[in-house]
Amino acid sequence: MKPIIEMKNIVKTFSDNVVLDHVNFTLNQGETRALLGVNGAGKSTLIKILNGIYHADSGEIYFEGERVRINSPQDAEKLGIRFVHQELNVCPDLTVAENIFIGHLKKNRFGFYDEKGIYAASQDLLNQLEINIKATDRVGDLRAAEMQIIEILKAMILNSKVLVLDEPTSSLSEKEKVIFFNLLGTLKERGVSFIFISHFLEDVLQISDHATALKDSRNNGEFDTKKTTKEELIFAMMGKNAIQKERIEAEKGNDAPPILELRNLCSSGKFRNINLSVQPGMILGVCGLLGAGKSEIARAIYGLDKYDSGEIVYKGEVIKNPTPEKMMKNHVAIVTEDRKLEGFVPLMSISENITLSTLRRYAAKLGFVKEKLRCAKSLKIAQSVTVKMTSDKQKVESLSGGNQQKVIIGRCLESDPELFILDEPTRGVDVYAKTEIYNILIDMANRGVTVLIFSSELEELLAVCTEIIVLRSGEIKERVQAKETGKAELLSLIS
Amino acid sequence: MIKKKNSILSSISEYAVLIGIVVVFIIGMSIASPYFLTFTNITNIIQYVSTYGIVSIGMLLVILTGGINLSVGGTLAISAYIGCSLMLRGFPWYVSVLVCILTGMMVGLVNGLAVTKLNIPPLIATLAVEQITRGVHLGLAQGAPLTGFSQTYLNIGASKFLNLPMAVWWTLLLYVIFFIILYKTCFGRTVYAVGGNPMATRVSGINNHKIIIFVYILAGILCAIAGIIVTGRMNSVAVSIAKGLDTRCITCCVLGGASVTRGGKGTIIGCFLGVFIIGLLQNSLDLLAVSSYWQEFIQGIVLFLAVSADFFRTLIARRKKK
Repeated sequence: MKPIIEMKNIVKTFSDNVVLDHVNFTLNQGETRALLGVNGAGKSTLIKILNGIYHADSGEIYFEGERVRINSPQDAEKLGIRFVHQELNVCPDLTVAENIFIGHLKKNRFGFYDEKGIYAASQDLLNQLEINIKATDRVGDLRAAEMQIIEILKAMILNSKVLVLDEPTSSLSEKEKVIFFNLLGTLKERGVSFIFISHFLEDVLQISDHATALKDSRNNGEFDTKKTTKEELIFAMMGKNAIQKERIEAEKGNDAPPILELRNLCSSGKFRNINLSVQPGMILGVCGLLGAGKSEIARAIYGLDKYDSGEIVYKGEVIKNPTPEKMMKNHVAIVTEDRKLEGFVPLMSISENITLSTLRRYAAKLGFVKEKLRCAKSLKIAQSVTVKMTSDKQKVESLSGGNQQKVIIGRCLESDPELFILDEPTRGVDVYAKTEIYNILIDMANRGVTVLIFSSELEELLAVCTEIIVLRSGEIKERVQAKETGKAELLSLIS
Repeated sequence: MIKKKNSILSSISEYAVLIGIVVVFIIGMSIASPYFLTFTNITNIIQYVSTYGIVSIGMLLVILTGGINLSVGGTLAISAYIGCSLMLRGFPWYVSVLVCILTGMMVGLVNGLAVTKLNIPPLIATLAVEQITRGVHLGLAQGAPLTGFSQTYLNIGASKFLNLPMAVWWTLLLYVIFFIILYKTCFGRTVYAVGGNPMATRVSGINNHKIIIFVYILAGILCAIAGIIVTGRMNSVAVSIAKGLDTRCITCCVLGGASVTRGGKGTIIGCFLGVFIIGLLQNSLDLLAVSSYWQEFIQGIVLFLAVSADFFRTLIARRKKK
């Protein structure tokens, strides 16, 4: 097998933080190679160097055997390397065809824009791959999974030689993953090589041929994925195994009145007739496909979005017109789906983000902040949620996704919640941090906090929750005991 | 111990560029003009810096919340006019001062409500308020200035204490007060949070509207205070009072490191240095007898260079690597 990309002895330092320490990475022609490592191990930096966004301090890059310099994303694209980023880079107001051909619009023989040409070519491709989207659809109206597919189609049109996929499946459901992998298979038959970054080790084992693991900014193993196990990969990434605590069992004879009740909650177009009750001290999961209404219900409970009718009853009292301020005062905390948008103040430190909701508590006369007290408490919380940081004065925007999520959870912990709502709590978070987060939630439940998790990751809910509610197209279908249900059964219930 | 040293060093390095510019100015001007390094001249600088110096504090607060305030000139004009015209009708000076500040508060409240409850972008809302307040001033004044205020009133801005004009003392006092507010109080820290990511603060249970409205009210009060001081010094409310105040204050804040595109970025110290530099610039141009018509042009160039500083910094860093 001939190598198509070779990265040799790559070193990259940010200030005095060594992010890549003489890292080697080789991709062979026609191969699908996974790049593994926890958040902060250097994966994204390595990829950004390949993409020309960062420049390596030292080291060489070879493409098809020749030494190349990649100084900008355009250089990478000229070589035939295409990137599909974790955050979707689509233009929502343009159509599917316009997005596929963006930057490479066809010209007709007069030099004018060949509109018919691009629509024909796009629809042709969509039909070939049996994808149920029209070339004339407006991209902003599509679901995240469909936008992901468009990114892949861009690559096909450009006849790219190498495709780098960064967390491509984090917003896909199980069914959509199948379509996506079939698409990759088609590209593979055409000779495209793939670099695949993912935290979903099951996907890695399924579709990649080989894997390179990074740990602490250095190489830590090359694996043949047909012959290795998930545990071996986890060990290579973190040097230890992730141990998860026991999920709490439902207390027998728990007659305590429910802490939260939703009665006939409706929001047109989003969810209807939502009736559920949550016993104090349990971990309740709500699962469903993307678009089933999970986030909408979570946000309605907290007052972030309005709903049309129904009642939200907290601790026996009806809450009319909930607002985040009211819910926070009632000791309810929420971690929303989009942490970049709504999770934290990026320019502020970890320390200040943790006490964002509770600053009043540290106020002396005239509103002066008792800074020492605040700092000490904040640091304690940051440590208890195991945020990986150099100091708690670090800005949150410089942390990895998993650690950012932990800071947000820390902020919620600091407000002493009795009810803790989480929406997609471990999206884009690495395997180890995921387990750490689950352990934090289980600890909280053991201390009497009620946890409500909305998630599309079935394994997550089965691992952590006591009971799981199944949501389908905005309505509740079932309520099952987690320990008596399997993944396959849940999968069939939600679709 | 090492940690503390690092933080003092790093704060100084944050302002290194600005302090450097001040030093260059001072050295350059001392050589270029014999009148520069005199006590009278220096106190002159701080005096005429006092108006936009004080208003810049308010502008900084608004910019920190991700907004902008184009109505500072109009606010100052209308507050000063209403306050002083009461004095001319026989009301005592303290009534004038009170009414002036109240007017500033009211205008600030209108701005705040427009931006939060009516959801009008700050640029448009304050633009409209600027025109409304200026219009009221001009309409009431019928094109005539006010003058002849009571001595006690004039003393607020114009008298001297320990040989320094009161304008200087008020400016320094306000900067110290707001430094403490922004860094040491819950309100101040919350202002930075709301500006940094209002969606996150909303989810965290903070009432964004309250904070933003209060910030605009504070800005209005500061405009009123600046108005009292400047009318005290000039003994008049001119028809074109505070013209160009908004652009000058924005220049000072941005020069001092505040970001108009990204809320939650900016410091009081930076703002003070920015104000000082613009003051030095104006003073230098005056001493060098540069035509006042060209002064605005030069200020514009200074602002342009200041905001492009980021670009130049990364360019130099990249050149060094290659």
